[in-house]
Amino acid sequence: MAPTSTSEILTSRMRLPQHVLHRSFVKETVVLNLRTGKYHGLNPTAGRMLEALAEAPTTGAAVPELAREYGIEPAKVESDLIALCQSLLERGLIEMVDGAPA
Amino acid sequence: MAPQPEEAPARPTRQQAARSAAFGLLLEVEEGIEIPGIPELDAPPLASQNSQKAPTRVSLDRRELERRWSSAEHAPERVRELRNGETVLLSVELAPPAGYLLHAPGFGRILVAPGGTELICDPEPGRPEWSALLTAQALPLAATLQGFEVLHASGVVLGERATLFTGPSGAGKSSLAAALLRRGGALLSDDTVALEERDGTLIAHPGAALLQLGAAEHERLAAHERAILGPPEAFLDKQRYSPSTIAAAAPFGELFLLERSTHGPPIERIEAVDPFALLASTFNLSVRTPERLARHLDLAVALAATERIYRLRIQPGTDATQLAEIVYEQLAAPSP
Repeated sequence: MAPTSTSEILTSRMRLPQHVLHRSFVKETVVLNLRTGKYHGLNPTAGRMLEALAEAPTTGAAVPELAREYGIEPAKVESDLIALCQSLLERGLIEMVDGAPA
Repeated sequence: MAPQPEEAPARPTRQQAARSAAFGLLLEVEEGIEIPGIPELDAPPLASQNSQKAPTRVSLDRRELERRWSSAEHAPERVRELRNGETVLLSVELAPPAGYLLHAPGFGRILVAPGGTELICDPEPGRPEWSALLTAQALPLAATLQGFEVLHASGVVLGERATLFTGPSGAGKSSLAAALLRRGGALLSDDTVALEERDGTLIAHPGAALLQLGAAEHERLAAHERAILGPPEAFLDKQRYSPSTIAAAAPFGELFLLERSTHGPPIERIEAVDPFALLASTFNLSVRTPERLARHLDLAVALAATERIYRLRIQPGTDATQLAEIVYEQLAAPSP
């Protein structure tokens, strides 16, 4: 599968497929793929990003809120968010709802 | 002439079955089967002690086992295997719709129906140890299939709450449970504890009233200490005790994660428990249905939410009696 472009990621909405569950613990979020039976661990920041992705209309729309929350430059949040999305997409833990660039 | 289907042998009627309970399951045990540590019930279990799930029927029937297994629609998939070097000690194969076939070479086979409502046993003649396959493997698997989560843990009830110990094999779970029995606790289960979340409360269910200790721990105990644990008998490579009583189902109290370590305090409450340590404490790795995987994760969430999870470090030179004292003091301390 061809890697997803960053512009595609930023302009798309991400969601958890029905076969993926996530649960938050104090210092970790566990993401479970019910199809593969594999558990994945996310640190608290990545766990928060996953929540923000699930709520935002597009990946890019999640950036300002996260940047405010963590007091970090939006450009840095954006690059971290894109890296997280690419990693989760590769593992089938999120899916893009709208893949076409806006 | 077309071959006629082989007629299934007559199945014993339900009236012939005796009722027992273990791992949260209500068991209907066919006449002639004795399950060590799981006696026949004198009266139906109280609703508060039982999960109101469908009974699990236990029968002896080699022909029926073979008939069902050979009629499976799919080739069996080996979902678990325990080995000692090249020797297979236990295999678990799944073939829907027949179920899970547990095979301990030299001891016997048990077919566990997919919903955990039926166990069809085929013990090797002259091997009474086959009952360990039933109590230590098949019943916990049936409990998992019936909706419980089974931890690889030993447990005792002290006061009114269940105190559980988990850790790798050989960590000392059974020895610690035995030491707490000598301090007045009641055995909940040795090696496998069935848990369920009921109305927001975690309930721990008793298993078989059996406790197995290694030779070294058995030798360490004085006669009066052994007497508290019930009569011992040599069983496989261990000493198996049969305590005269077993605890009733009890609300979850606390979970101790045992580890051998020379660093850190002997006991500490874990404020941010590693969810993967909780997930790894499961007994059952064979059932991978989406419902069960989700339940497994949700049990880890429920355990973490109790905030009563402790690390118990077993340091060199510390015996089970001393460990029990450490645990006992912790339990007597005010709750966090």
